[in-house]
Amino acid sequence: VTELVELVIEEREEVVVARVSGELDLAGAPGMGDRIHDSVPTSARALVVDFSELDFIDSSGIAMLFGLARRLGSRRQELRVVARDGRPVARVLQIVEFDRAARVHETLEEALADLVTDT
Amino acid sequence: VRELPELFDLGVKARSLAYLFVAGASLGLLTLLLPHDDSVQDLQLYVLAAIAVAVAALIYVQADRISEWQLHLVLAAGTTILSFANYYAGTSTLYPLLYTWTALYAFYFFPLGTALAHIAYIGAAYAVVLAIQDPEGPLIRWLLAVGTPLIAGLLISRMLDRLRAQQLEASESARELRQSEARTRLVLDSSPDAFVTLDRDGIIRTWNVAAERMFGWPASEAIGKPFRALVTPEEFRERHDERRIALVESTDPLATAHFEVELQRRDGGRFPAESTVSRVDVRGEILLAGFIRDVSDSRRRQEEREALMREQAARAEAERVAEMVSGMQLLVDAALAHRTLEDIVSDLVTRVRGVLGADAAAIYLADQGERLVLRAASGGAPGEIDVEPIPFGAGFPGRVAEAREPLLAQDPAPEELPRANLEELEIDSLIGVPLLAEGEVTGVLVVCAAAPRHFSTDDVNLLRLAADRVALAVDHARVYEREHRIAETLQRSLLPDRLPHLPGLAVAARYLPAAAEAEVGGDWYDVLSVPGGGVGLVMGDVAGKGLAAASMVGRLRSALRAYALEGHAPARVVEQLNRLIWTEGDDSQMATLIYVVVDPAEGEVRWVNAGHPPPLLVYGEQLSRYLEGGSSVPLGVLPFPDFQEVTVPMDPGDTVVLYTDGLIERPGEHIDTGMGRLVAVVREAPSEPDLLCEHVLRELVPDGGALDDVALLTLRTIPMADRVRVEFPAAPEALSSMRALLRRWLRHGGGNEQEIAEIVTACGEAATNAIEHAGAGGETPFEVSGLVEGRTVQITIRDYGAWRAPREGDQGRGLSLMRALMDTVEVTPTPEGTTVRLERTLKGKDSNGGPG
Repeated sequence: VTELVELVIEEREEVVVARVSGELDLAGAPGMGDRIHDSVPTSARALVVDFSELDFIDSSGIAMLFGLARRLGSRRQELRVVARDGRPVARVLQIVEFDRAARVHETLEEALADLVTDT
Repeated sequence: VRELPELFDLGVKARSLAYLFVAGASLGLLTLLLPHDDSVQDLQLYVLAAIAVAVAALIYVQADRISEWQLHLVLAAGTTILSFANYYAGTSTLYPLLYTWTALYAFYFFPLGTALAHIAYIGAAYAVVLAIQDPEGPLIRWLLAVGTPLIAGLLISRMLDRLRAQQLEASESARELRQSEARTRLVLDSSPDAFVTLDRDGIIRTWNVAAERMFGWPASEAIGKPFRALVTPEEFRERHDERRIALVESTDPLATAHFEVELQRRDGGRFPAESTVSRVDVRGEILLAGFIRDVSDSRRRQEEREALMREQAARAEAERVAEMVSGMQLLVDAALAHRTLEDIVSDLVTRVRGVLGADAAAIYLADQGERLVLRAASGGAPGEIDVEPIPFGAGFPGRVAEAREPLLAQDPAPEELPRANLEELEIDSLIGVPLLAEGEVTGVLVVCAAAPRHFSTDDVNLLRLAADRVALAVDHARVYEREHRIAETLQRSLLPDRLPHLPGLAVAARYLPAAAEAEVGGDWYDVLSVPGGGVGLVMGDVAGKGLAAASMVGRLRSALRAYALEGHAPARVVEQLNRLIWTEGDDSQMATLIYVVVDPAEGEVRWVNAGHPPPLLVYGEQLSRYLEGGSSVPLGVLPFPDFQEVTVPMDPGDTVVLYTDGLIERPGEHIDTGMGRLVAVVREAPSEPDLLCEHVLRELVPDGGALDDVALLTLRTIPMADRVRVEFPAAPEALSSMRALLRRWLRHGGGNEQEIAEIVTACGEAATNAIEHAGAGGETPFEVSGLVEGRTVQITIRDYGAWRAPREGDQGRGLSLMRALMDTVEVTPTPEGTTVRLERTLKGKDSNGGPG
């Protein structure tokens, strides 16, 4: 058992990857949005939030995600989310119809490849 | 028969014999020179005279080397020469009379027996001479020649015996006198007091070693000088003369006087002295003999006087007192060690009363504001102690405290008594002595005597001694209590005063300080929620005692909490603690510690053990086993020890028992015995942690307290029931705990992982609402209760805040999540709070099924 929620930032050329693992709830979500947003330089073209290792998300996590989408959109930066199908996180994203705000991918590779083909 | 001493030595005897020979020879020659008978053969006689003179010369020269038997031989030779002379001189001379000389010599210088032998030889020799010379001659001739010296010799012998006896007596008495003088001198010289004799004019005649020491004047310089000029300070000289003359002229032959005087040393230093002077008449000469004692040390003077007085008054009484004083000393030194001030004063007050044989005694102790509070009293009818403080200066004890001196009061007024109930004792006499510690009045000791007894100054002095002991004991006790209080407060502040509320878990802890310990030990424990829904249990023991150990406990505790809450794994947390103690502690600092993480959601227990006794895991039907693995060295021993983390399964209903060595160790016993005893006791114990702790301590801690500090911490994972009801604090951090509990409970209820995740998410939304309703300063907890009925799960989350209508966005999304995930969602807002009821029917079975 490590921290409840953990964030690892990785920059790949023009794409920033934010891996969030653990459990994202009211205790961790409010600060998480700022931390991720601050790690995305204006020069970056897109942000991938990778939830592959996230075990739990609630509405405060979802609110953070919507907030990120809004802030990136205003800078004309793209947001992609990775959530493995069948996991509770993907289920929640489905329920709140997050795909209307940003595309949700099965894997990080898929998300990155999709970003490349988009350009 | 007494051996009489020799009057003359051999030299004297030899020389006397030489004179005798010369005298005999001279007389013989004189006879030859005078007209004499023709029958005298002159030539032979000249030769004999010459021989006699030669022998005389020889023995005179050899006088100092001659021996007794040689003298006898020479004397016999003299008799022989005389006999030849008588033969050659015929009967006409007076030579036979010369036998008298040799005989008298024999009697004079030799013992009677040998003298008689010489007489016998004389008689025999002359008989031979007469037989040849004149065989018909009358016997009278022989008788005259031998009888006269015999009678004269016997007379001389008697006379000499008497003389010898007198001389012996004289020499013996002289020796005795010498011995007695030596003894007297010895006594006087070894006396700690100066002994001085003066003649009637005040001139020093005797001056012993102590006087030399006392005044700095050696006897050689002091004797012959006037005492007054040597050691009497100028202003007292006149008085000295008056006293001396008064004594000298006293008509009392045994006049003795005692003086307290001031005297002067050679270096000019003055000192008070006591002298006892006697007038002594030594063969008509008046002498003043005085003993002088230096009493400059006033305490010694006092004590010596007291000792003298006590000795004189009643030796037995003094011994009894001494015994009691020493008894009290013992009490103060040993029995009172490590006891509370309250116990000590109540014990001491009884002891003091015993020592003085008093009817009542009381101890007042001073508080910060110079006021006395009665802390203990003994004697009289039992009654409440009046705790009304008495200011210094007020009442009898107050006056003692103000005076800082012992006070003795006879016939005190009733209000002067320490306690009202002493009135009926008819107290007639009171002594109060201040208790002093480092110059401060720390209290007052009062003793009371009922009529007819009245305390004396002796009692005051004795009580003063007692008060010294009491003051010391009280001071020690106060210092000890203060230190103990500080350490205890510190330690209490370090132990969790309230164990955290852990859903699904029951925790109980006990901490028992050692019964007779002066200082608080370094045992400690802690319970904390760790990220991810686990519970951290800590049990540690810092080596050493007192403030140092307590402060190390404080640092370890806060460091452990910080590392654990950062989410570090147990082994990493313990490594950090080791680094802390290795770098911060001094060389001797060492601590054992066990850090256990119970994860009820995962159903496992993990631990790292740094030299601590292993925890006990109680499982199944009161079975138990020690969690032996993962043991490493204590903290602070190695810079980088290898701490191993061990994990074993832990089922609902299992209990972990952590403890410190004080619980299992007994002097002289192997530790395995104590560990076996703990297993046996736990087998009989109830499973509920609080009751378990009670039972274990009751069985393992001896009556009267443990020898060492004992800490005990137990945690039980509550077996899941169909119904659950738990309160959580209204804080975001509670959410993960709640989820962990619900997961366990839902698993128990038969849900599959998919369903469980969804229900937990829905409940999380309700709980998030509850936390937000409580507001920023929300202290009121929210309650989660659940019920499984058949396949239906009902969960109710109730808070005590105001419901906020779902806004567009976050909260609204929460509500829609709940609705999406559950079959039924009911939100009931009331003025007192909001209740959210969630319901869902479980499918179960396909536990790892795909999305809903």
